[in-house]
Amino acid sequence: MKLSRTLLLAAICALSAPAAVAQELENKLVIVTSFSKDLTTPFAQAFQKKYPGVQVEIQNRNTAAAIAFIRETKSSPPDIFWASSPDAFEVLKKNSMLTKYQAKAQGIASKVGSYPVHDPAGYYTGFAASGYGIMFNTRYMRANNLPAPKEWDDLKKPVYFGHVGISAPSRSGTTHLTVETILQGEGWDKGWATLLEMGGNFTQVSDRSFGVPDAVNSGQYGLGIVIDFFGLSAKASGFPVEFVYPSVTTIVPANVGIIANASHPKAAEAFVEFLLSDEGQQILLDPKIQRLPVRATTYAKAPAGYPNPFTDKSLGAKVNFNADLSEGRYELLNSLFDRLITFRLKELNAAWKAIQDAEKTLGANANAAAKKLLADARKLASSAPITEKEASNPTISGAFHEMKKGEKPVGRQAEFEERWDSYAVKSYAEAKALAEKALTAK
Amino acid sequence: MSAHNLEAPSPGSPLPRLATLSPQAGRGKNWLARYNASPAQAIALAAIALFLIAFLIVPLLRVLIVAFTAPDGSFSLVHFGDFFRTSLLREAFWNSIYVAAMTVALASLIAVPLATILARFHFRGAALVHTLGVVPLVMPPFVGAVAMQLIYGRNGTINLLLNDTFGFRIPFMEGLNGVIFVEALHYFPFILLNLSASLANIDSSMEESAQNLGAHGFTLFRRIVFPLALPGYVAGAALVFVKVFDDLATPLLLNVTSMLAPQAYLKITSVGIADPQGYVISVIMICCSLGAMLLSALTLRGRDFATTQRGGGGLSRRHLGRGGTALAIAFVALALLISLSPHIGIFLLSIGTVWSFAMLPDAYTLAHYVTVYREAGPLIANTMLYCGLAGLIDIVLGATLAYIVLRTRLPGRQLVQQVAMSAVAIPGLVLGIGLLRTYFDVKLPFSGESLATFWFMLVIAYAVRRLPYALTAATAAIQQLHVSLEEAAESLGARKLGVLSRIVVPLMTGGLLAGFVTSFATAAVELSATLLLVARAPDAPLSYGIYVYMQAAAGRGPGAALGVIAVVVVAIATYIAFKIAERERGLKTRELF
Amino acid sequence: MPRGVTIDHVSFGYNKTAVLDDVSLDVAQGELFAFLGPSGSGKTTLLRLIAGFGTPSQGRVLIGERDVTGLPAWNRNVGMVFQSYALWPHMTVAKNVAFGLERRKFGRAEITKKVRTALDMVGLGAFADRRPAQLSGGQQQRVALARTIVIEPEVLLLDEPLSNLDAKLRVEMRSELKAMQRKLGITAIYVTHDQEEANAIADRIAVLDQGRIQQIGTPTDLYDHPANRFVATFLGTANLIDGRIDGGRFVADKFTLEGITAADGGACISIRPQDITLGPAASGAGAIVAEREFLGSVVRYRLRMSGQHIVVDMPHRRDGETYAVGAEVGLTVDPRQIAVLR
Repeated sequence: MKLSRTLLLAAICALSAPAAVAQELENKLVIVTSFSKDLTTPFAQAFQKKYPGVQVEIQNRNTAAAIAFIRETKSSPPDIFWASSPDAFEVLKKNSMLTKYQAKAQGIASKVGSYPVHDPAGYYTGFAASGYGIMFNTRYMRANNLPAPKEWDDLKKPVYFGHVGISAPSRSGTTHLTVETILQGEGWDKGWATLLEMGGNFTQVSDRSFGVPDAVNSGQYGLGIVIDFFGLSAKASGFPVEFVYPSVTTIVPANVGIIANASHPKAAEAFVEFLLSDEGQQILLDPKIQRLPVRATTYAKAPAGYPNPFTDKSLGAKVNFNADLSEGRYELLNSLFDRLITFRLKELNAAWKAIQDAEKTLGANANAAAKKLLADARKLASSAPITEKEASNPTISGAFHEMKKGEKPVGRQAEFEERWDSYAVKSYAEAKALAEKALTAK
Repeated sequence: MSAHNLEAPSPGSPLPRLATLSPQAGRGKNWLARYNASPAQAIALAAIALFLIAFLIVPLLRVLIVAFTAPDGSFSLVHFGDFFRTSLLREAFWNSIYVAAMTVALASLIAVPLATILARFHFRGAALVHTLGVVPLVMPPFVGAVAMQLIYGRNGTINLLLNDTFGFRIPFMEGLNGVIFVEALHYFPFILLNLSASLANIDSSMEESAQNLGAHGFTLFRRIVFPLALPGYVAGAALVFVKVFDDLATPLLLNVTSMLAPQAYLKITSVGIADPQGYVISVIMICCSLGAMLLSALTLRGRDFATTQRGGGGLSRRHLGRGGTALAIAFVALALLISLSPHIGIFLLSIGTVWSFAMLPDAYTLAHYVTVYREAGPLIANTMLYCGLAGLIDIVLGATLAYIVLRTRLPGRQLVQQVAMSAVAIPGLVLGIGLLRTYFDVKLPFSGESLATFWFMLVIAYAVRRLPYALTAATAAIQQLHVSLEEAAESLGARKLGVLSRIVVPLMTGGLLAGFVTSFATAAVELSATLLLVARAPDAPLSYGIYVYMQAAAGRGPGAALGVIAVVVVAIATYIAFKIAERERGLKTRELF
Repeated sequence: MPRGVTIDHVSFGYNKTAVLDDVSLDVAQGELFAFLGPSGSGKTTLLRLIAGFGTPSQGRVLIGERDVTGLPAWNRNVGMVFQSYALWPHMTVAKNVAFGLERRKFGRAEITKKVRTALDMVGLGAFADRRPAQLSGGQQQRVALARTIVIEPEVLLLDEPLSNLDAKLRVEMRSELKAMQRKLGITAIYVTHDQEEANAIADRIAVLDQGRIQQIGTPTDLYDHPANRFVATFLGTANLIDGRIDGGRFVADKFTLEGITAADGGACISIRPQDITLGPAASGAGAIVAEREFLGSVVRYRLRMSGQHIVVDMPHRRDGETYAVGAEVGLTVDPRQIAVLR
């Protein structure tokens, strides 16, 4: 035992440069994270085993609190920010609260699916990926006679009305990426049509990402759009749930970044390298963690059936993700989704319920006038108030983030939001009226 | 700390600023007399004001300044204009008012009969009922939400049962009415506590004289008892109104976003959004809450409710007949069962394996308690320490301030009171950010640790946010305390401090206790400021532990186990407090028979 | 319609301590009756039992012919004035007074009229719209009285009604009270611990101590013929001397009194201070002046007589004879003024 450890240490010393400086690491490492204990504890323990001289301190905070904490503690900040949502890292990056760091580890893919693993500018590093999919409660499905869904489009079906939940993109960076991926994959207009029609079936838009798996686990509603490890780990804990990847799934990364002016920069760098090392990547396979390694070779050690985006091209490969486009409209998209879906869910539900009912009643016998009315209703209930071009126009999107020098947006966020809100209320009400009219159209 | 200040004898004029206001300043130490105040009281008021400036106003302004800043950086009210131009926010505003008002009504339906039964009749286990009546305030974060859904949700225990038996569901947890239902169950203890304290302070002869003149039953209650207990009821009802108006957890739990608090929260906590509307909404909520508190103060103005000329003792308790006892027990049991069902849910969650789309968990286990066993100790100790200290600070500050407001005419006392009350409307996150921003660069001597992340800052954050509870309770208690009791003591040669400690404080025990218990209980499950200010795991209280567990899908069980521990800890502390109060009350009651 | 009150073998206990022990008495219709006793004697408890606050563990309470023992307070039509007045602070004076009338379902106009009459009667007609806190103690007391008499109760109960007033006002109010009681012809029971007040106001007095009735009688009765030591000392000052009666003589340790007509046996006699006459040393039983107090109309001497303390009041006359402290004096007493206690 002792011999093997010595050997291992020797091997590491011989192989990698960072390990050689192991002796010079600072004695402490402070990590702010929004990850759960299930993920942070195995990593922290393994890291500490490797570098016994470093005392690892984990601070669990939700993303908003973590960002506020880092912002307010600039004078002596924590060392590492470790979280899923790329948007949080973007905020820190924009406010110069991250340090550029080029990981030395070799063998890390530059893209998982079509999504770039690392921040192109080098401020944060992806260390794992996750796929988005549909989680559902089997007891609930049986009790309500619901078929198991396979594709995103299935969620538009009337049979799922009132049974689907999602978290708001403004509240969950990973949901945001899913929404963005749908919009990029299907195009702005068609993407919104999909989102709004699906939204017609939503029973809830949660403000917490783990609100969705919670509700599905307890059977409050039947289906949830969630990140894979929520579904997989719930199933592993014995809940009567299933998780499916639709054939077009989106891949979202989980990241780590070194905070500017970190008090323990060397330990921080060692931690990033550790996450990317084969040793660190293997921890991701833990059944309680279940995230996808970004090191292709690690999958060799994965159990059979473990999703592998490097071999399975359906995982996130279909969309060519444009990170610049995404970044330019990030805040605007969040706000738009909230106005059109989150805050007007009741109205959206009512519109789609009317359309679904009318279509069901009329069936194939609908006359031309009714068909026209229904088509108009569908259009009203599935269009966004602004075009893709407008959404990327800095004079509009600029109203949604902190002002850079020289920027002059054409309005304040509150003004746009009021416009979109009244648009939503009006369109949904009209759509509902048209659908009801279609029933009696001659 | 302020008790310390009270003790300091201060000859001459200790406050030059105040002294210059007084034309008599030159004449030495009697200038305060025209404000009917002693130097110690002036110092105490100044100390409280300083405390609030340091830990409430400055941190708050540093955050809320955004609401008053135009896009180009200048001062502007343009964002407030936006608020009123935004239909969603106008709608949210009226929804919040509606929900808060209806909650007061529903909570009164639970709390008023409960308080009356407990105060009027011999009731075995009254302390137990009082304790259980406080427990609804202790709703552990996240697990409470899950449990509520599991019990009352669309597919919760009750609706599954209803659906299986009768084929229908009741939308307990849907829309604004759902919010009202849950809020009333959660916050009725505010009315219960304050009203009970008030009832206990009514001299029994007030009631007897009415009986003597032919009144009894409901008439007696409506015409005499309730009006006399009005300060306590109004205090409690105002707190419920303000708390519900500002409450965030319940609308979020029910996914009702068309109210002010969730709108502000979603804005403030959304990553990367620079919109000042979140802070604008916060400012507006603070103003509304202050308005509500002022209104409640106005309804009580000019009324002398001091009935405790003989030092209290409360209404004489009667024995109920067999039918009456059965009815009372049935009501108490039903009220407690409904209001404690979330806690029963949390308990089941903590001992259940899987609970999904079913009336009860599939199987039972103690594994979750084993999981949290090792960590629970320090978490409990921290919670007790922080919340106990916060509660103490609150009753000391609250009682001192209430006393100064009601018994002196010191200038600025009402302003200080309103500032203290405004804390009730401040989102924990906003205060947390403000405290970090103001105190992070202040280093502690010796250790060099930042003051903002030092554990005592959590105590201060808890104390500041819960000061309004203690202040309200203390104010109601002093309003009922006849000034002659103090004058009697003074005439016997007692100094102000002596009067305070020997006469006022003992007679206020009930009110102070109500304040302490509410501060303590609600602080024990506070999360938003906690998440921001806890810097090291060993410093973390229970609510933080629950948060950490609840992030894992498999963590509902351990999270619920910690939740149960939190509830039990608070319940035991509350029970002890009530027992002490009962004994105190027993000692000071002169038995009339 | 005023009625008498009968207390019939009433006992009352709380936590196993007997507060009232087999109390019986009759209050005649229209009488002003006082319960007199030290605090803790049970007098207030007895009054509260009549009002209906508490139920006797044994015995009956009758108002007129009606047994009210089990009747709740609100059905008794007994008016009570509380020591603290118990005016409701949230109501005006008029509202306070009107309360009992409203319970009795009088019409609005009649209530207004009766309230005005009652307030005028106590001289507070101008204060109808004030709140109790804006009144002085004496005024509050009158409001409490008005509130009670306005319902025309069968019996008026007064629980130490004057104890919260200053001395001068107390004397004024008590004659006012008595005058009003006479005018209304109402049966009234008055609880006090002040024997002077009881003597001044009451037709008859029941003296209570330790839950028992010690004696019932008119004030002079009680004063002149106290039944026991307690009554003798509680009503005024008395010199109590223990001894034996032996064939028309009272024999104490060091002296004998002739002309006592009582049955033979151990006895205690009570002599009021004004019934003893002081004279020169040899004029009677010898004693030494220990203290002298000038009280205006009398001079009070405290004397030592063979281990016994004797109090003697001598009427004060200008330039009259006084005895200095330490002087030897002789005591004489008129046997007819001596009360024999058992």
